[in-house]
Amino acid sequence: MVVDAHVRIGVGRDVELSVEELLTGMDALGIERALVAPAEAQIAYHVRAGNEATTGAAASAGGRLIAYAVATPWLGGEAAVDELRRARDAGAGALAIDPVLQGFDLLDGMVEPLLDFAASAGWPVYVRTGTPPNALPLPLATLARRHPELAFVMGRSGATDFWIDAAPALRHAPNLYADTSYAPWDTLLTELTQDEEIGPGRIVFATDAPYTIPAAELSRTSQLPLSEEDRHAVFGGTISRLLGR
Amino acid sequence: MIDFHTHTPLWRTTSWLGGAPFTAEQFVQFMDGAGIEAAVVLSHDGLFDFTPQANDDLAGFVAAYPDRLFGMGTVNIRRPSEAVAETERMLGELGLRGMKIHPWLQGFSPHEAMLDPVCEILAAHGGILLSHDGTPPYSTPAQIAALARRHPRLPVVLGHGGLHDLWREALAMTCETENLYLCLCGTPPYAARRIVTQAPAHKVLFGSDAGLSDRASQDYAVARAREVELWGIPETRRQAVLVDNPRRLLGMTS
Repeated sequence: MVVDAHVRIGVGRDVELSVEELLTGMDALGIERALVAPAEAQIAYHVRAGNEATTGAAASAGGRLIAYAVATPWLGGEAAVDELRRARDAGAGALAIDPVLQGFDLLDGMVEPLLDFAASAGWPVYVRTGTPPNALPLPLATLARRHPELAFVMGRSGATDFWIDAAPALRHAPNLYADTSYAPWDTLLTELTQDEEIGPGRIVFATDAPYTIPAAELSRTSQLPLSEEDRHAVFGGTISRLLGR
Repeated sequence: MIDFHTHTPLWRTTSWLGGAPFTAEQFVQFMDGAGIEAAVVLSHDGLFDFTPQANDDLAGFVAAYPDRLFGMGTVNIRRPSEAVAETERMLGELGLRGMKIHPWLQGFSPHEAMLDPVCEILAAHGGILLSHDGTPPYSTPAQIAALARRHPRLPVVLGHGGLHDLWREALAMTCETENLYLCLCGTPPYAARRIVTQAPAHKVLFGSDAGLSDRASQDYAVARAREVELWGIPETRRQAVLVDNPRRLLGMTS
């Protein structure tokens, strides 16, 4: 079983991915399930349309797609939580946050109502990282330490100038998980898997399609030397456990 | 007040912020005029050309006023054995009080293990590590906090309180990391006000960044020192930031 922990569907500025293309690609690569976030505009602004897109895709995919919910914190806490509640009621299974597209600091307090709702819903939280100054691994680790009841996925693991921050961030917050997208297995991922304080149980496979070539992501990451048990965890076991489904 | 972030002139290197040359006597005149009792003086040439010569020059500058000027030198950490020897010399023979690092100018990440032997020497000698901060990719407050966590006996100072973009991160890291201190220096006033009221009271310092001016009188630094009075912070906190905290950290008894 392979689970892709993060893709975006819909039309972005430079890329697009339809649900049909996604499912066809998953079939070709042997990816059983994928977590789907909406397109850039729907993360930044049109969040209700985004949630309808992801939950609608999930509802029509026979369990193969799991919807991320989104809400810009600039809606205000109450309105943002209302959007998340609508998404949950429509079947969403996780929260996706993009501090760059949504324009806030991870530590400025704006995202707290969203995280509180994610905790009440039992959702893991995906956070895009790697873009300075407000989407970096180490502040995310501090945020994660403030919410030990939540699991956070460090989207893109700081790619690329902040890959060097990934290991210190993972050591700092035990409820933080790295994703594999863009990461060379023979430098970064090996370091993370062999670190006594991190290990393969803290790494989840993600293609970050359509920004990447999913076949290349899967092929490259598959070269990471792992035991069968650890391979199962990285390629789907861990994210499935975090999702509770 | 005690100014925790100033620089010598550039004597041997050049920079777009070269500034006017000045003597130690002229620097103390600036301090007297601005109401600055004592100052931490950081290597300036050493940011660009981190040689023992830069530390010698710094030591000569602060030696003229040993009760008022406290020097912090720097080393080339990419030459590990030389860095260790020079750190010992800085703190011993030269009488400097700590080390300034500027990771993005000097070209390393705070996570790099070659910093550890140098930090261990600083901690063993009761020294202080002050780092530039506020600037990705290699000088974020959280990166420097991670270094501080590796050396819990070493006082580590965020030299710029996160500047404009990362001050919230600097505040959070100062609250989270016991041996991390924060120097308000170039931090915007609205952020300084928040930091002063929310950070642990004993961990906030002030610095003017004096030494970079085109005038030996350091006019911008005088203005920054005066501006503190307009921040609207409680008197007890002002006293802590400007006097009590730096005196404690520097071990000043008189």
